[in-house]
Amino acid sequence: MSAERIALVVTGLTALTPSIREVVLAPIDGGSLPSYAPGSHLVLDVPVGDGRERALANAYSLTGETVEPTEYRISVLRCDPADGAAGGSAWVHTLAVGDKVEALPPRNLFAPVRHATKHLLVGAGIGITPLLSHLRSHVRWDADVELLHVCREGEGAHVDEVVALTGGAATVVHDRATFAALLAERVRDQPLGTHLYTCGPTGFMDLVHLEAAAAGWPAERVHAEAFGAADLDPGAPFTVGVAGEEIEVPSGVSLLEALEEAGHEVPNLCRQGVCGECRVPVASGSTPVLHRDLYLTDEDKAANDCLMACVSRALPTDDRPAHLEVTL
Amino acid sequence: MSTPAPPHYTSVPPWTREPVVESPDATGTAFTVLAVGTGSDATGAAAIVDAWLPTLPVGAPVQVHTSEDVAGAIAAMRTDLAGARVGHRVLVAGSATDCLAVRAAALGSSLMDSELTVGVTSVATRAVWCVHCSATTIAEAGLEDVVTCPSCRKDLVVYPHVSRRTGAHLGFQVDAETLPAGVTA
Ligand code: FES
Repeated sequence: MSAERIALVVTGLTALTPSIREVVLAPIDGGSLPSYAPGSHLVLDVPVGDGRERALANAYSLTGETVEPTEYRISVLRCDPADGAAGGSAWVHTLAVGDKVEALPPRNLFAPVRHATKHLLVGAGIGITPLLSHLRSHVRWDADVELLHVCREGEGAHVDEVVALTGGAATVVHDRATFAALLAERVRDQPLGTHLYTCGPTGFMDLVHLEAAAAGWPAERVHAEAFGAADLDPGAPFTVGVAGEEIEVPSGVSLLEALEEAGHEVPNLCRQGVCGECRVPVASGSTPVLHRDLYLTDEDKAANDCLMACVSRALPTDDRPAHLEVTL
Repeated sequence: MSTPAPPHYTSVPPWTREPVVESPDATGTAFTVLAVGTGSDATGAAAIVDAWLPTLPVGAPVQVHTSEDVAGAIAAMRTDLAGARVGHRVLVAGSATDCLAVRAAALGSSLMDSELTVGVTSVATRAVWCVHCSATTIAEAGLEDVVTCPSCRKDLVVYPHVSRRTGAHLGFQVDAETLPAGVTA
């Protein structure tokens, strides 16, 4: 991992809803932090402990000031480890003011398209977070913007802020049926030159993509910020051969984690199949790859000659157990 | 001239090398269809448009405009696009030079490449923009041929770069790099 980590200290905590917490982080030695483009996220180091057998790296969208900020703001929904979550967000919910944390500098896979004539932001639940920084920027630059958001009643983090920022160009609804009807109507009435940005659970973003496509939007106009493959199942165990050595990858452990544990360095960033950093070449002698990332194209996947180590796994064949030969 | 086809990542669209007729994108919800040109380009464009129209989705609004000159086609397109919604597609049939000019105007009206379909009738001419005097000339020339700038009389090489904003090729003095010291191009 090459990027320099930033040492941060927790300076503020706010419960936005019973399950969403805003965390304010400042540089340990004062001063300002690296600027970032709207839609960026911060990758927080989550240490081992409290039932977490491995360190995690969790990506959270930055919601605050983007230019030479003196603090970073993230809003984190607590996903319960009892329901199978990895425990990163639960750890964030245990942080106290004064705690020190480390993070990678902001990265962006979801920047606004500056020449767009209008920006249509479509969010669900905690997916409001990257859209909030888009919105701030559009308001600052006086760009045409409209926001559609669906969240549970009482779980609407940042909603008041968003409504105030847009001066009425935000529509917030609380049930799926109303939202689906609203979405279908609004994607059919946007000026040519509009770009759409969506963030929310996978099923929600699938709906947005489908509706936009049905209304004639080419894929190039639709941008999605994936939360990543967070809801992936633990997967079946497989083996991996690397540099003449054979490593076991148990269920619930990613190839990336297994390689790291065996002492191999693999570049990585999001650890959720989104960023493309952890691409590992697959050599002959491998069984097919079970691709689970959101990065590779269908063509790349069909070639079966590489995989994203953080999420993808091996599939068995009729006569061979699941096995990958990789070169690092 | 026979330049080997350069890799596809140059700014020169393949349909300016061969007269390619693309298939319309039937996922569009409204269509502007342009037939541009005179003589054989006009006949060719009309035939392409006739083949396109039945493939467009039933019920979608379709505006067909036929113009002899590209300025007329661009004006008609701009009028259509002024109030257009996302979902609109533009289809243009004509010479590669006219298609490039329409593409430049379409991009300027916020269309994306994927929202434009071209049907090319001929690739004989190219628009060349002179870097020395900023005049644009349309000449019968292939890539890397030499044309004389009618405005400043310099001999220009038709460089394989097309401006997305204007649709013209970059042209610069052919011997610019071998001129004696002190002589400026
Ligand atoms: S670390 Fe980002 S795709 Fe694997």
